[in-house]
Amino acid sequence: MDLSYKRQWETRGGRRRSVPDKTPSSYYNIPVIHKAHWGWLVIVYFFLGGISAGSYVIATVADLFGGPETRRIRQIGRYLSLAALLPSPVLLILDLGRPERFYNMLRVLKLRSPMSVGTWGLSIFGGFCGISALIQTAEDGLYGSSTLARRLLLALPSKPIGVLGTFFGFLVGGYTGVLLAATAVPLWAKNYLLLGPLFLASAMSTASAAIMLVLLSIRGTSHRTLKRLERLDVIAIVLELVLLIAARANLGPIIARPLQEGKVARVYRWGVLGVGITVPLTLLSIGMLWRKAPARLLGALSSLLVLVGGFLLRYVMVEAGHASADDPQATFAFARKKEK
Amino acid sequence: MMSATIPLIDKELVGQHGARPGAMGFLTDTTLCIGCKACEVACKQWNQLPMDNFGFTGNSYDNTGDLAAATWRHVAFVEQIGDGSGQRAATMAPFQSNWLMMSDVCKHCVNAGCLEACPTGAIIRTEFDTVVIQQDICNGCGYCLPACPYGVPALSSTDHKAHKCTLCYDRMDSGLEPACAKACPTDSIQFGPVTALMEHAQTRVADLQSRGVANAYLYGDRAIGGTGGIDGNNAFFILTAEPEVYNLPAYPELPQDKVGRAFLTTFGAALALGVAAVVALRG
Repeated sequence: MDLSYKRQWETRGGRRRSVPDKTPSSYYNIPVIHKAHWGWLVIVYFFLGGISAGSYVIATVADLFGGPETRRIRQIGRYLSLAALLPSPVLLILDLGRPERFYNMLRVLKLRSPMSVGTWGLSIFGGFCGISALIQTAEDGLYGSSTLARRLLLALPSKPIGVLGTFFGFLVGGYTGVLLAATAVPLWAKNYLLLGPLFLASAMSTASAAIMLVLLSIRGTSHRTLKRLERLDVIAIVLELVLLIAARANLGPIIARPLQEGKVARVYRWGVLGVGITVPLTLLSIGMLWRKAPARLLGALSSLLVLVGGFLLRYVMVEAGHASADDPQATFAFARKKEK
Repeated sequence: MMSATIPLIDKELVGQHGARPGAMGFLTDTTLCIGCKACEVACKQWNQLPMDNFGFTGNSYDNTGDLAAATWRHVAFVEQIGDGSGQRAATMAPFQSNWLMMSDVCKHCVNAGCLEACPTGAIIRTEFDTVVIQQDICNGCGYCLPACPYGVPALSSTDHKAHKCTLCYDRMDSGLEPACAKACPTDSIQFGPVTALMEHAQTRVADLQSRGVANAYLYGDRAIGGTGGIDGNNAFFILTAEPEVYNLPAYPELPQDKVGRAFLTTFGAALALGVAAVVALRG
């Protein structure tokens, strides 16, 4: 037996109190609810899953509406969606207490359990990513000019496949927010209407930033192609910012504490809002307003920062949730909100 | 008479409960608890639960702390020593000392957050209307932990699966009462059909109030404790202080009632972002 195991309240040094004089407002500050055990594996998955989902959506839209100008966007989007998706199941299975039993997830489908919906959504979306990437390899001439494989793949209806896959892409990009929201954790559950859209907006901004970085690192991408991607990036970042502000305002003073004080709050303020949103927005608007600006440099820098910010957003959301679950006052405030 | 310290929003919901026919449950009457922890020990013995920790909280006579993977009953000790101004209390609540003791346990909700969250179907509702984690199915995803508004299920550090009270399913199956209720020397923990227990609880609350325990109330019906879509708990409590004093949420919600609306706004955002992508990439 592992005797080094510590219970939650034991490891929360410094918050213990001696017996209070009057009726205490909580039970010795011991957490009311149990927090999730999610750590780096899940944070990295949230990040990669978002990029994969966003890339697929962008590739499909570029395919359907973009015309020849966005051919490269479609190409990179399809490859990137598969590349970012491939590690995801591995990360999720490793996060299980009993990884060898992961397939038990596939014995039921429960529409009211976002974890179940996400498992199925991710499995199906993986298939779409694979097929679309395969079609792209055929279009890129990986199998020669007239082989059977090429003809078979090109005979597939790539546009309907893309549309159907986009639905599951949106599901994979957004369910992670619903997953957090459908819990008793005050910081997540209070914003149940906003977390899904927030994760989706971040999926789009990180995906367009990732595609942009790849496009900038290979030759032959026209300036106008990049500009289109940049526009999408700006829209997604602005939506993300609006959602973050709304979510923060909705929390109220007690439940918002993890975003106000401590390490997570500093990462939120400087990492997510500063490095991830304000700086790239400034850089991108400089590029749009000042014609002589070094567009490629600004684009690369802002894309990099958006990716860093997107990752930190996942980190902050998960870690702030854990801090919120550990705070009895937050749980009580959340569970008393109906009081008149 | 309900004290002003215990805010009941819907008084007409007191005693109301959504338990299904044949539901079995606990009534834990904290006014009878003497803090002997026989329930904790009996639970550990019958269910062969290992030690959770060997620690000292420094809080109270309670070194158990909270419910955990191998602790399915937890006796809370709330010492109300002073009168709030630093003075030793000169008066004592009728029928009680200034020491509140309460044996906490899984609430076996009528609509359970852990059960609805479980993606493997490991958590099931039994023929006794209780909520049980099937250990041969659970893969330790841990989603039931934050899905429980009372903080009941926990992951074990030994087998990495989720564990919680089964309301002694094996004993009930053989016509025995759960180990904790059997061991309780004061009948603070009572076991029986939920409907009968609920009626008894209301009689008991009325009796306590007539004897001067004005604060006595029932926790775990639709009025308080079993609120927000949970529709009542099959394990309920008679308390004499605010729920928060015992580390219980006053008006918990069933987390899964949010899923539908959360997915709706998410797909609304998907639509908006899709349109934005079309506008941006079209040129």
